[in-house]
Amino acid sequence: MKPFSKYWSIFQITLLNSLAYPGELVGRSLMIIPFMWIFYQLWKITFSAAGVEVMSGLTLSNTLWYLMLAETIELGRPPLARTMSENVKDGSIAYILNKPYDFLLYQFSATMGETIFRAMLNAVFGGLTVWWLVGAPQHPEGFLIAIPAILGAWILHFCINAMIGLSAFVVEDVSAFTWIYQKLAFIFGGMLIPLDFYPQWLQTLAKFLPFSSAIYGPARLFVTPSVELFVNVMSLQLAWILALTFVLVIVYRRGLTQLTVNGG
Amino acid sequence: MASIEVSNLRKTFQTKRKAAGLGGSLRALVKPEYSSVEAVRELSFQMDTGELLGFIGPNGAGKSTTIKMLTGILHPSGGAAKVLGFVPWIERQKLAYHIGTVFGQRPQLWYHLPAMDTFILFGKIYELDDGETKKRIDFLSEAFEIQDLLDVPVRKLSLGQRMRCEVAASLLHRPKLLLLDEPSIGLDVVAKQHIRDAIKRMNQEEGVGVLLTSHDAGDLEALCKRVIIVNHGQIVYEDKVSNLKRRFLTTKLVQVRYAEEVAKDFSINGVETLKVGRYGVKLKFDTMQTPVDSVISHLSDVGDIMDITISDPPLEEVIAKIYQEAGTSTQVHR
Repeated sequence: MKPFSKYWSIFQITLLNSLAYPGELVGRSLMIIPFMWIFYQLWKITFSAAGVEVMSGLTLSNTLWYLMLAETIELGRPPLARTMSENVKDGSIAYILNKPYDFLLYQFSATMGETIFRAMLNAVFGGLTVWWLVGAPQHPEGFLIAIPAILGAWILHFCINAMIGLSAFVVEDVSAFTWIYQKLAFIFGGMLIPLDFYPQWLQTLAKFLPFSSAIYGPARLFVTPSVELFVNVMSLQLAWILALTFVLVIVYRRGLTQLTVNGG
Repeated sequence: MASIEVSNLRKTFQTKRKAAGLGGSLRALVKPEYSSVEAVRELSFQMDTGELLGFIGPNGAGKSTTIKMLTGILHPSGGAAKVLGFVPWIERQKLAYHIGTVFGQRPQLWYHLPAMDTFILFGKIYELDDGETKKRIDFLSEAFEIQDLLDVPVRKLSLGQRMRCEVAASLLHRPKLLLLDEPSIGLDVVAKQHIRDAIKRMNQEEGVGVLLTSHDAGDLEALCKRVIIVNHGQIVYEDKVSNLKRRFLTTKLVQVRYAEEVAKDFSINGVETLKVGRYGVKLKFDTMQTPVDSVISHLSDVGDIMDITISDPPLEEVIAKIYQEAGTSTQVHR
């Protein structure tokens, strides 16, 4: 058990560390409230302009709860790529690399430790706001069913962000890549508009990219849970996780030989 | 037995060059120009088990790059090295169980949490039993006098207190070798002494070998038996510290401030006067020819001393002197 208890400890210490400034943690999570209010205004007008109750299988309430979970997944994850790039720039990567653990598992445990409270607070504030605006979710049990997919989504985000972060071993500054990733996730992940509202061809394209498995899949599973959707979402997610983990390990091994540590 | 063996180790960095201004930035975008910086060139040396070895040189000499290659973080551009029998950049994780590192300019303790949390985390990372970790923390906190500091968030500690915790943390897993990169940087005299005493004690009691980089000749005198001086990525001197002291660390700089005005024609026999101000003087002398106490007694005869500082010449000067001697005798001191 010893090898795994070290990763559990890393998870725990980052969890503790994320509580070092509770005010900041709560303050940041409050951001989801105005976001949800803006979404509500936007989609209320859209639904009433279209004169329909249901669009592509989603009601206004479904859409809002969908967006709440999508935002929670996105806002809950810490800026891993930026942190890794900072570590390379300021030289603290030297300490992270010289301990007897697997670097990628270390980063994963630390990222998850940082994610938990951020995501929980976002879900609470976002959930309360949406409840107040459109009432209870249609399928409250959907949340429990979506939990494995939410975890899978964070693993996917981790793989992609760690890859971007590792490019810092060569290029040092990764802000351009994180910007591009964020915009792709917004569009192809369905962060602002559920993918169901896209034209068919774009939907098909988006649903086969990893971004939809990282945002759309779990959020959609939450609002319209079904066994079929669960199997769909999870199998696509698993395929992406396996493929991206494989690439990530290769990128990491190559990156190590390229690393330049700054300072001192 | 050698704990570190290094032969012909090299590290070359590629850095992007860019002319100043917008034009330069645009040109660099279209046609980036790279230049190679040889941080470490053909470095070869050995360190014995349990040895206290000083690895010193001015800023940019390649000390940190060497340490980072010896811990396996950086891959070298050429040459070979073995640390405790491991090739660091290939067996980095295995090696990590047996070495401790402190990079003086970067914290390894979790900044917002009490040091105790990092100690416990390190216990897990190095796979120690909880009981063993606790015993070790008790021992180290006594050796480094940090008992009262362990429960305070690291960000609230002074630099000297933090460095004691940093070095103690790096010894938690009983490493056979400690690599200290500028452990005394930015510390005041008392804090430096604290750290040096504790390191010395760990070397004597546990036989942990210490490779210490510094650009402070004081660290070297206080701690190390043998010294390697590097400059521009190459070894310029390798010998016992006692020999270095006898040959090159013989001059002292003295700065004195008096309560009353100093005579313009101030001079002491055997002492070079560098500067005479209205209230103070700056002197340089050779301790082999003029003993320190005779200079001090001369100085106090002149008037009431308000303040006095005695310091070693900067390392750059020592290196210049080594080069000078190597040039005249065409003999490399190794």
